[in-house]
Amino acid sequence: MRKRIALALLVLAACAASLPAAFRKEDVKVHQLANGLRVLLVEDHNIPNIALYTFFRVGSRNERPGLTGVSHFCEHMMFNGTAKVGPGEFDRRMEFRGGSNNAYTADDMTVYTDWFPAAALEAMIEMEADRMQGLAFVPDVLESERGVVASERRMSVENNNDGILNENVRATAIMAHPYHWDVIGWMSDILGWRRDEIMAYYRTYYAPNNAILVVVGDFEPAKALDLIKKYYEPIKASTPPPPVTTVEPPQMGPKSVLVRKEAQAPSYMAVWHAPNAKDADFLPLSILAKPLLDGESSRLYRRLVREEQLAIHIGGGVQESIDPFLFSIYVKPRPGADLDKIDRVIEEELAKVKAEGITPREFEKAMNGVRSNFYMGLQTISGKANQIGSYELLYGDFGKLFTIMDDYAAVKIERVKEVAAKVFTENNKTVGKLVPEGGAK
Amino acid sequence: MKTPILKPLAVALIAVLAAPAFAAAASQLPAPEKIVLKNGLTVYYLKNSDLPVVSFRMFVRGAGTAFVPAGEEGVAGLTAALMTKGTAKMDADAIAEALDFMGASLSISAADEYAQVSGDSLAQHFPRLMEIAAGCLTGPSFKDEEFAKERARQVDSLKSLKDNPGAAVRSYFRKAYFDGHPLGRVAADSSLGKITAQTVRGFYARHFRPDRAIAAVVGDIERDKLVALLEATLGPWANPAGAAPSDAIPPLPRPKGKTLVLIDKPDATQAYFVLGAPGYAMGDKVTPQATVMNTLWGGRFTSWLNTELRIKRGLTYGASSNFLTWAPGGIFQASSYTKNDKLAEMLDIAFGLLAKGGREGFGAEEVESGRNYIQGQFPPTLETNASKAGAYVRLAFYRLGFDYYDKYLTAIGKVTAAEAKAAAAALLPQNDYVLVVVGKAADIRPQLAKYGTWQEKKITDPGF
Repeated sequence: MRKRIALALLVLAACAASLPAAFRKEDVKVHQLANGLRVLLVEDHNIPNIALYTFFRVGSRNERPGLTGVSHFCEHMMFNGTAKVGPGEFDRRMEFRGGSNNAYTADDMTVYTDWFPAAALEAMIEMEADRMQGLAFVPDVLESERGVVASERRMSVENNNDGILNENVRATAIMAHPYHWDVIGWMSDILGWRRDEIMAYYRTYYAPNNAILVVVGDFEPAKALDLIKKYYEPIKASTPPPPVTTVEPPQMGPKSVLVRKEAQAPSYMAVWHAPNAKDADFLPLSILAKPLLDGESSRLYRRLVREEQLAIHIGGGVQESIDPFLFSIYVKPRPGADLDKIDRVIEEELAKVKAEGITPREFEKAMNGVRSNFYMGLQTISGKANQIGSYELLYGDFGKLFTIMDDYAAVKIERVKEVAAKVFTENNKTVGKLVPEGGAK
Repeated sequence: MKTPILKPLAVALIAVLAAPAFAAAASQLPAPEKIVLKNGLTVYYLKNSDLPVVSFRMFVRGAGTAFVPAGEEGVAGLTAALMTKGTAKMDADAIAEALDFMGASLSISAADEYAQVSGDSLAQHFPRLMEIAAGCLTGPSFKDEEFAKERARQVDSLKSLKDNPGAAVRSYFRKAYFDGHPLGRVAADSSLGKITAQTVRGFYARHFRPDRAIAAVVGDIERDKLVALLEATLGPWANPAGAAPSDAIPPLPRPKGKTLVLIDKPDATQAYFVLGAPGYAMGDKVTPQATVMNTLWGGRFTSWLNTELRIKRGLTYGASSNFLTWAPGGIFQASSYTKNDKLAEMLDIAFGLLAKGGREGFGAEEVESGRNYIQGQFPPTLETNASKAGAYVRLAFYRLGFDYYDKYLTAIGKVTAAEAKAAAAALLPQNDYVLVVVGKAADIRPQLAKYGTWQEKKITDPGF
């Protein structure tokens, strides 16, 4: 779901660190099959299990009006049958072998996450390879799954005030680029996608040359590679998907959006256009997010929650993305709080950062946070698989994971101020407010 | 996302309780070393130098929500939260700054039967983390100003929770099921309003004491350094004079007939339900059979409930069931959500499956799949330092023994189809249950009449 991936990526973004001796770049064995499939293997015998993650370079970024949300729908249909494995069989077979799975779709990627006992490796590789090429899209099953996704949207957007506001703010701030819509897609599109359109989308993006396979856990790399070759090599490469060419034009003035809805508490959110993950300004902005927004000692938590007592909690930051996305600040205001005052406090704090930057102690604090998150994230085979695959997809090089701590440390503290001055301008800002109306008070 | 993420509570309970086993070869949980401090506090320790991180966990028996006097619902959570908001040496800002500076985390929270302390940090910062944690645990200042801020924040958090029907329905259910019982002491804006700083100080003084605490440390730290650190930080924590208050919880209520509660949220486009009935106590001998049964009925993606409601009919994004267990007993609960106009269809299917479980039971291959699934999914639940430390304090708290998971997983491997059917007959409710629905009453009220008489509330009414 969108929320979760956004958070995961923030952690990643923030997560540099000099690597533990227990996990080095050399521990990742890299292979590329002739059909373009990238394979990353890490042996780890801590528990008798394996995490098998498949990353596809497709997300809501690749969609178009009328087909919004279809990347996420393909994710759902991946569990609903191929020519060889009937609807629901993927889960039944996997669970019979002691495995479980999930999957998530984000703006830039779709990721399939399998966790299973070591003995299930061949069966899982066989089924993963099978669904990369042969989804059936059985009409009845497709219609039933459409209902599931509509329910997911009702839960995460329509019956979630912060979700509704988030969707409105994104669509207001981003005018032209496909990041305009949320990963779940618009309800009318969910109810309207045609089977042939969905199948064409799947065939375009689900191919070995558009995927990364990451396997971490209790296996022998040579044997695992043999199995991967056995099942994946027969899959043909496809025509590379078309590039996403739309560039978001510069915002030329402040924007705002107001949502009126029955609610106990209002919602507030502000965003500014921000650079993509590879941009030289990304790390300084990511560093700034920590002393500004992370933890109860952060500048905005102190002002909004503790001192002015305008908010219940706050959050936000910058997301690692392929194309330029947004720097976000979320505030959960207290019922009855003055949203304009919240906005003024945020502007005051941003003005200080633009004028004075952050302190050396705040810089060190950001580095400690990054290191701590990094190591905590490497405690599990699934954490390792997710980090390696995300880096490979976003940066084209998983090795970035092993140097990003140094990249963070190399940022000059003055750059934080410079980048803040560039990003946090009036003309670059979109503010969203959800104001209670009607029955609730 | 394909499947909803389980709520943290559910994950914790599954990890622990339903703790499973696999192939019974290696031990699931390495035996920790037991360290007893001079003041009597027991700390379980396991060294793990794979990564430069350390985790600390502690349970304080009796400091949970079930030990709050009626009318003071919320005081356990408020006390726990305020313990990190100032000590003799550090004010709230200084504590937050010190923790954030290290990239460390420290939280104190109230569960039902105990308060839990969780601390995680880089190994180099662990000594400082323990100093701060011990300061919060042994000498919180409970200043009036911090009390007022935190209470107001929690009151508003509860109001805000009602904007999220999927979360709110859980609190309404807890209150309806346990009405009058200590496990139903759910914090509400109305009860929080009656609590004073003095109430909080009194709750702390009565319930936080080393003879009620169990701790564990797992990670990259040497034994001798740890012992010295613990003696220096937690060693001075003295037991107060006098006996500790009772930590007994009365037997759980057993609903007779149907208790039906409808909460009207006029803007809801989906209706959310939780259905609950008696379950079994933590560590009960029925645990393996009940866990296999629940896995098949509503505990995993291909379960009966999710298959019928989601996979076959597309009525919902998520449908599941689980057992919640405490020392004196437990409950079974099933939950899902769908469009307002489909609620009765959904409930009828759920009731049909409840009846079918005990009547028809499960196939041999299905039961084998359930056993494999529980065993195969177990090892990742104890993968991190934090999860191992949590398991040590949990197993010690419930006196289950550190080989509990091995025994449990071995027992899972032996559960038969007949036993799973018997567990379904005994534990899946037919006529006696509590059912709570949050949704748009105008749309769902007409569908609900056939189930009986409903008690109705508005989401805007105070409390739950």
